[in-house]
Amino acid sequence: MNKKEILTKTAKEYFSSGNDEFNKERYNSAVVLYFKALISFSDLYVLQKTGNTPSSHNERFKITKEKFPEVYNLLDKDFPFYQSSYVQIMSKELAEVVKDDAKVMAEKTNTKL
Amino acid sequence: MMQKLWLKKPILNYSKDVFDIVQFGSSVEEGKTPNDLDISIIFNKIPLKEQLDQAQEIKKQLEKLVEIPVHINSFDLYSLFNSSNFAKESILFSGKSIIHGDDFAKRFGFSPKIQIYYSLKKMKKKDKVRFNYMLSGKGGEYGLLREHKGELLKPGLIEINPEFKNIFVNSIKEYKVDFKVKSVMLG
Repeated sequence: MNKKEILTKTAKEYFSSGNDEFNKERYNSAVVLYFKALISFSDLYVLQKTGNTPSSHNERFKITKEKFPEVYNLLDKDFPFYQSSYVQIMSKELAEVVKDDAKVMAEKTNTKL
Repeated sequence: MMQKLWLKKPILNYSKDVFDIVQFGSSVEEGKTPNDLDISIIFNKIPLKEQLDQAQEIKKQLEKLVEIPVHINSFDLYSLFNSSNFAKESILFSGKSIIHGDDFAKRFGFSPKIQIYYSLKKMKKKDKVRFNYMLSGKGGEYGLLREHKGELLKPGLIEINPEFKNIFVNSIKEYKVDFKVKSVMLG
């Protein structure tokens, strides 16, 4: 598998698992999985546009902030919830927000969910 | 000058959905060097997605004003008080309103204060004198109380604003004085 195939597979898998957790009303897990899907789709987008993938969160934020601010905005907005998901109760409404953001990136990468 | 951001009341663009923008955490504590700027944006009741989108716009404006990372949390007045919000005590007690340039607690009619009780009984006379100079000054020089707008309520009890807690506690510790600190909200 090449990088593109790996990122597509992981993104879709995280998103699907997020749906499973969402349907079980486990919103903390759903937020984490939807965010991971968002990250994978973002990396896929960066790969499609630049031919490279970021190797860390720092690099991911740096590249997207410089080159793809609309993607950075999504990551930056949702990252604090991912970070605090182990100490805070996540709501259904928040899970829906992160899910929608992952969908936005799926569309930008022309990935069918 | 990070600690003074809330005092500067910077002009920010925000909607009427915003109840307040609150600076809290180490960046409002005098005598500390913060690594980041913690900001809580309190909204009136609007959908979460709108809260987060508006918070991002405010964050971008704040990032232009400071050189350290800005961390944003957004709440409405209901979720602010939710038990899962571990930051609520810090926001309510030591938070500073960037919109109003004052304690956030004053929006609810309260004034947060730190009261420090201390006893000089075990000290030598010369150390007692030095301690009192430290608090009240000597020969026209400002002591900590005047410098930081604190108040001697009675012998053995001073009252100060929360942002100066570290400065007072660290100074008092140098004298090996018995003391205890209470956080109070005055109505």
